[in-house]
Amino acid sequence: MKDYRRFYRQKSIGPLIILFSLFILPLALTIRSGLWEEGSFTVKRIVSALIDPYTQRILLFTLKQALYSTLASLVIGLPGAYILATYSFRGKKLIRALATIPFVLPSILVVLGFVIFFGNTGTLNTILMKVFDLDDPPVKILYSFAAIILAHAFYNFPIVMSIVATAWEGLDTKLEAAAATLGSSPRKVLRTITLPRLFPSIISAAVLVFLFCFNSFAIILVLGGGPRFTTLEVEIYRQARMMGDPSGASALAIVSLLINGILFFGYALGQRKLTVAEPMVERAFEERRPTPIRTFFILLYSLFTILFLLGPILAVLSRSFIGSASRAGEATFSITWYRQLLGLERPPGHMSSALAALINSTLIGVAVSILTVTLALLLSVSIVRRNKSSSALELFGMLPMMTSSVIIGLGYVLIARLFRPSLFGTYLLITLAHTVIAFPFALRTILPGVRSLPEAYLHASYTLGFSPGKTFRTIEIPLLRRTLLTAAIFSFALSLGEFNATLILSGSQVVTLPVVMYRLIGSYHFQGACALGSILIITSGLAFFLGEVAKGDSV
Amino acid sequence: MKMHRFVLGVCITLTIAFPLFSMGTQKERPLTVYAYDSFSGDWGPGEEVVSSFEAKHGIPVRVISAGDGLEMLTKVIAEKDRPYADVVIGISDEMATKAYRADLFEPYHSPILSEIPEFLHFDPEHRLLPFDYGNFAFIIDSERIPEEDRPKSLADLTHPRFRKSLILIDPRTSSVGLGLLLWTIRIFGEEGWLDWWEAMKDQALTITDGWSSAYGLFTEGEAPIVLSYTTSPVYHYTYEGSTRYQALIFDEGHQTTIEGVGMLRSSSRKEEAKLFIDFLLGEAQLPIAMANSMYPANGNTPLSEGFAYAPKPKVSLRMASEVIEKNLDRWLHEWTEVMSR
Repeated sequence: MKDYRRFYRQKSIGPLIILFSLFILPLALTIRSGLWEEGSFTVKRIVSALIDPYTQRILLFTLKQALYSTLASLVIGLPGAYILATYSFRGKKLIRALATIPFVLPSILVVLGFVIFFGNTGTLNTILMKVFDLDDPPVKILYSFAAIILAHAFYNFPIVMSIVATAWEGLDTKLEAAAATLGSSPRKVLRTITLPRLFPSIISAAVLVFLFCFNSFAIILVLGGGPRFTTLEVEIYRQARMMGDPSGASALAIVSLLINGILFFGYALGQRKLTVAEPMVERAFEERRPTPIRTFFILLYSLFTILFLLGPILAVLSRSFIGSASRAGEATFSITWYRQLLGLERPPGHMSSALAALINSTLIGVAVSILTVTLALLLSVSIVRRNKSSSALELFGMLPMMTSSVIIGLGYVLIARLFRPSLFGTYLLITLAHTVIAFPFALRTILPGVRSLPEAYLHASYTLGFSPGKTFRTIEIPLLRRTLLTAAIFSFALSLGEFNATLILSGSQVVTLPVVMYRLIGSYHFQGACALGSILIITSGLAFFLGEVAKGDSV
Repeated sequence: MKMHRFVLGVCITLTIAFPLFSMGTQKERPLTVYAYDSFSGDWGPGEEVVSSFEAKHGIPVRVISAGDGLEMLTKVIAEKDRPYADVVIGISDEMATKAYRADLFEPYHSPILSEIPEFLHFDPEHRLLPFDYGNFAFIIDSERIPEEDRPKSLADLTHPRFRKSLILIDPRTSSVGLGLLLWTIRIFGEEGWLDWWEAMKDQALTITDGWSSAYGLFTEGEAPIVLSYTTSPVYHYTYEGSTRYQALIFDEGHQTTIEGVGMLRSSSRKEEAKLFIDFLLGEAQLPIAMANSMYPANGNTPLSEGFAYAPKPKVSLRMASEVIEKNLDRWLHEWTEVMSR
């Protein structure tokens, strides 16, 4: 009976070796490239990066935009958390579901949606100009600091909303009721009783958002522009790819890793200190109906959320069906971009690589999801079944999540420099980089599934004389089928939309969906970009849908 | 035991999946040509030039968009030990010294060189052969900038009424951006050029990485002024019948740029490469001139009527490649310093 633990312990060896080489090796190369020169250790590059006023400004800008984005996400997200936690109303489920959309949307798609929706000639301005009969676009935010903040808020306010709402719903209302009985006004109750208890969740949401915005890449790359709106991640890409200086990029990457590490450490420390042991309870929603004014605000907020979340996506979908003969021509309905995408017409320019991109992305996605799910399953069962030092393993599996995908991409650029791969080799490296990036998400999906599988099933199987291997194959895997499928689709969707690492790793010949989309956006071929984007939307939608279904019935 | 099966499974998956990638990329290795983005972009001549070359010689050609000019050069230098390309299109005279220093290109004395006027031969060793040239200029949307408001000099562009109205291009990545940087140095001198750029921080809507983005942004209507060439209106007249977009001519003069094509030393297909270069300097001159909106280098190329809408600058400014090479890093550093402040 005992030796089944050994069976599972052995299971972890393979995936650990593979993960180690997929994740630690590129990272080690980055650190070596940043800290070693001609075989000897030197901090010269890092010091000269840090004393260069340009790098200092980039660093300052990176921190500044992350701070503002976090504040904006809080401002938009907290009222939502309040509404979700306090009232029960029709459409609440819908808002909660909509709020998960940004989690599954690739960043390049969000950028495209933003340009099309908020641009001077975008959907929003066109509508406003028609309705109010204006000559000039009223909303001029694109290519400004505000645009970056807004895009980050779009991406991150749902994180605030859902983390804080979950914590809020878990708070026992007895304390508030007691305070109210003792004569405190509702405002005072909120300030002195509720908020202090919510504080840990607000802080953890804020730090998480700050981390995401600090590492933001695609949004800055497209919506930023010029040396003024450059972040550390964008500069790493610029130095590695455009300036041909991977060592300089590595030095910046080390700086970025250090800051990420400090932030994460502070976050973990704060979590431990701030978490008050309070039993989670089923929260009783307020019985009385909200006052008319409150109802109005709830409606307004819901409407805003829906418009803000769906506007850019719907703009992408609808723009993909608009054809125009010339740039000055009238807009007409057309499926020509989809015909070009499927290779039915031979288009000029970047659209000519759209079909190749679709094929490549699909193949990479399939390979990534097979690899990722296999690795994550093996690691999950050994984490759950071997019972010893499991949390260390789990933490290791989550490590890639704490590293920005630009830096993972840079690590693979350095690997590529070691043995100068062919085109085929480059695609292989991209696949491996995607696997590293998708792995933590697959692990997080599969691990709870394995945990919820009663070990008694296994014992029953052993008692009946099945070997651990056969039990694993015939009992565990079939029972985990749905979880595995969800993880596979998640990994596929992540790989399909992965832009940061792919762009930095891609030479001029590599084409994947997001890379071609980026090039199309770069040459302002929005309709084509939207056609490609719509495919990403559909895949992301599927991943989202399956994620919701899986939440509904876990094993 | 399970381990082996797992590793085997992974290997099988990979071996099945990866040869398929080639389906998405290429069938046989064609003559590979690097070109700056706009050459094979949506408006570029790439498609037409390549298909007529393929039809004439039966040699398959693959054009790869390798970023804007400087980015492309960086890429070629970075790939020097394991090059993908045979031919590189679009190394301008301003950045040529950098290419010579890296010893990338093999001299080629094309028989067609004699048809190209003397002043365009910027490389006496013919490692880079001129295929087109043009003058940098600002293009305006005439529907949004009335006749009387048009700027008449670089200095005029700093006027408050053009706030957030310009689309500029990064000189660290783009040869057009670099062109403007050199242009401002010629006009304002070492003492004054950075002041002009300082003022541009309020005037520019954005600074893009390459010409394609900048010009796309402009025609999308995001801003009424863009950095481009005096010849850009030719495209709009020829293909759209429109004279809405017009080039501004400044009396102080315009920076001139000559674009060259070269054959990489590392190429294993030099004969085909030579044919392609000859084609580019000969038959392809007309489509290049029209779609690329540049003056053809070959003097025998008839200019279409659209070129009537490309105003001739009164003064053409040039800067010696050696001077640029000596100072470029410092200039770019100073520029970055000012623009990021």
